[in-house]
Amino acid sequence: MNTETREDQTQTPPQPPEKSGPSARLSTLGRALLTNRTVLLVVLLALGIIWMKALDASGYLSAPYDLSYMTSSLVNLVPLTMLALAELLVIVSGRGGIDLSVGSIVSLAGMMFGFTYGMWGWPLAVAILFTVGFGALCGLVNGVLVAYLGFPPLIATLATYYAYWSLALVINQQQPISSQPVVDLYGLSESVEITGLKGIIPGIPLGVFIFLLPTVVVVWLLISKTSYGRKLYAVGTNDTAARWAGLEVARTRAMAYVIAGAVAGLVAIVTVSQFASARPDAGTSGNGMALPAITMAVLGGVAITGGLGRVVGVLLAALLIVLLNAGILLAFSGNAGSQYQLLMLGLILVGAALLNGITMRKYSGSNR
Amino acid sequence: MTAPTPAPDRVTARASGRVLPSPVTGQELVLIGVIALLWVALTIFTPAFLSASSLQSLLVRLAPVGIMAIGMTCVIITAGIDISIAATLMVCAVVTAKLLTLSGMGAVPVILISMALGCFLGAINGLLISYGRVPAIIITFGTANIFQFIGLRIFNSQTVNGIPPTLGFLGPGQAGRVLGVPYAFMLMVVLVALAWVYLRHFPGGRHLYAIGDDEQAAELAGVNVRRHVLSAYALTGLLVGLAAQVTIAGGTTTLDQSVGRGQELATIAAVVIGGTSVMGGRGSVLGSVLGALLVQTVATGVTQLGWPTQLANLFVGVFIVVAVGADLIRERYARTSV
Repeated sequence: MNTETREDQTQTPPQPPEKSGPSARLSTLGRALLTNRTVLLVVLLALGIIWMKALDASGYLSAPYDLSYMTSSLVNLVPLTMLALAELLVIVSGRGGIDLSVGSIVSLAGMMFGFTYGMWGWPLAVAILFTVGFGALCGLVNGVLVAYLGFPPLIATLATYYAYWSLALVINQQQPISSQPVVDLYGLSESVEITGLKGIIPGIPLGVFIFLLPTVVVVWLLISKTSYGRKLYAVGTNDTAARWAGLEVARTRAMAYVIAGAVAGLVAIVTVSQFASARPDAGTSGNGMALPAITMAVLGGVAITGGLGRVVGVLLAALLIVLLNAGILLAFSGNAGSQYQLLMLGLILVGAALLNGITMRKYSGSNR
Repeated sequence: MTAPTPAPDRVTARASGRVLPSPVTGQELVLIGVIALLWVALTIFTPAFLSASSLQSLLVRLAPVGIMAIGMTCVIITAGIDISIAATLMVCAVVTAKLLTLSGMGAVPVILISMALGCFLGAINGLLISYGRVPAIIITFGTANIFQFIGLRIFNSQTVNGIPPTLGFLGPGQAGRVLGVPYAFMLMVVLVALAWVYLRHFPGGRHLYAIGDDEQAAELAGVNVRRHVLSAYALTGLLVGLAAQVTIAGGTTTLDQSVGRGQELATIAAVVIGGTSVMGGRGSVLGSVLGALLVQTVATGVTQLGWPTQLANLFVGVFIVVAVGADLIRERYARTSV
């Protein structure tokens, strides 16, 4: 890894000679768009919504793209954003950090939740704690392989992706668990009106409040307000420097994978309540959950080289993708909608990556 | 990354006047041993395993992953990766299937079109990665989505039915083998042999290793890094286009939208089990194909033993950990002993 190619997003780049007048303001804006991912995402988000509104106004959409449709689409935001935050932690931890196994952990932990809560009749709180703990245990395996044994993260999590996926399918002979207690959990994904704002803002899915917001707050506090967070960024930025500074590099890095696993365990409960069933392929069917989550993290400005990335970027990226996806579903009928979602995701990701490259060459003084 | 320490075998190689590592690595020998053990065990426990038809179908199913693994090995040797091959495989397969059913073209033009198409898609990856200077994993995540979109649009929400047996000579049937050996398998063996010689004995091949070891050093030494990286991805796409032909030949007369799903990770798994380092600069196609053979043997064995099919993936995971773990231990030992 070349440490000299890194640059800090939050830091203003070396100032070029001052110009005056409107052209200077324009170039400041241009630089902000290129170097500050938050600004770029906010602009993209605004453009996306205006574009969808325009399509709506000229009658291209099959249903109105209004506030109530936008808030109801937030239900799709919950699991993927939580996993994107998990990827944030892992990618920031550095040394090529990535977790391909989160989708499989969702499947396997979801089955565990189905067994404990749906079949063995454990109390809900105990079953939830057990599921989250189980996810953390799955993450611990990744963490030990990567941080203590020195496996490349891509390989370690590829291996556990296969292992957990296989176990989730085999453990109940590929059958989903949809007993009565599990079905009753469906209420968790219903929409609720916020008291006081009734009629102004339409119902927001309950999962946003009981799963997503707490996770966002906890992850944000963890990485920006605790000493663990500073250690994580230090380890991700430069392994050797962190070691010489006396940090427990292996333990800090392993912890990122454990937390990612615990978040995946929590996501398992979200998906069980959304499907009203513990499905053995919940996190792995189709393209799985890991790849979209990684995509969101990268789009949110998390640098794949480690040590760089912010919660607000990931949130904005997730919001951008979910709202555009919801709009695309209205613009195309049938399967075409989900296909154009793939196209949009791919184009945005490639565009964002190319932009990162340009930014680095233009503003960081390195020509790589 | 720390500067690469010369492994002991390279030191002895220099002493005896050779500059290349030994033709067969320890990892490959161990793989051959493990595969041999598995074959013996499977023969004892399931008499059906060693029958000609069972082995022929194993070899035909091995071929697509084996062929793609050649390209993936080249890409990973340059310290890159290609997540988009499953989507490329889907595009090539659906175009091939449509051409065969709708136009009734012969085998040769169809194969050439598919390979050209795969090469084109691979070249897009290569261009973005080498000239856009963006991490390969990010770009290929992105293009995987775009290629998947293209493939699904061509499918148009319908399966392709009634594919004629034009490509039967690459399939598991009677038309697909001579003296009991499937053509698809022979094709793979020839390609692996060519790639093995090229990577080992030609300047272009050695340059790929140099790029993976240290890109800047390679650039300074006069290696055209961008062109080599571009051609590694284009080659991978080309081989995926070929693998799509074997996939269609080995399938039924119907092609559905799940074609290729999971193949990118299966191919990476085969390459990694074969001892190629994802950090770049080290690896061989022989190991990759042995890795693919190991995975296919386990899949076949699990099915024939009557165990749940999905259990095979648990073994794949364990093999990855064991193979890479053994490699890590060897490397650590080599570093401390020099």
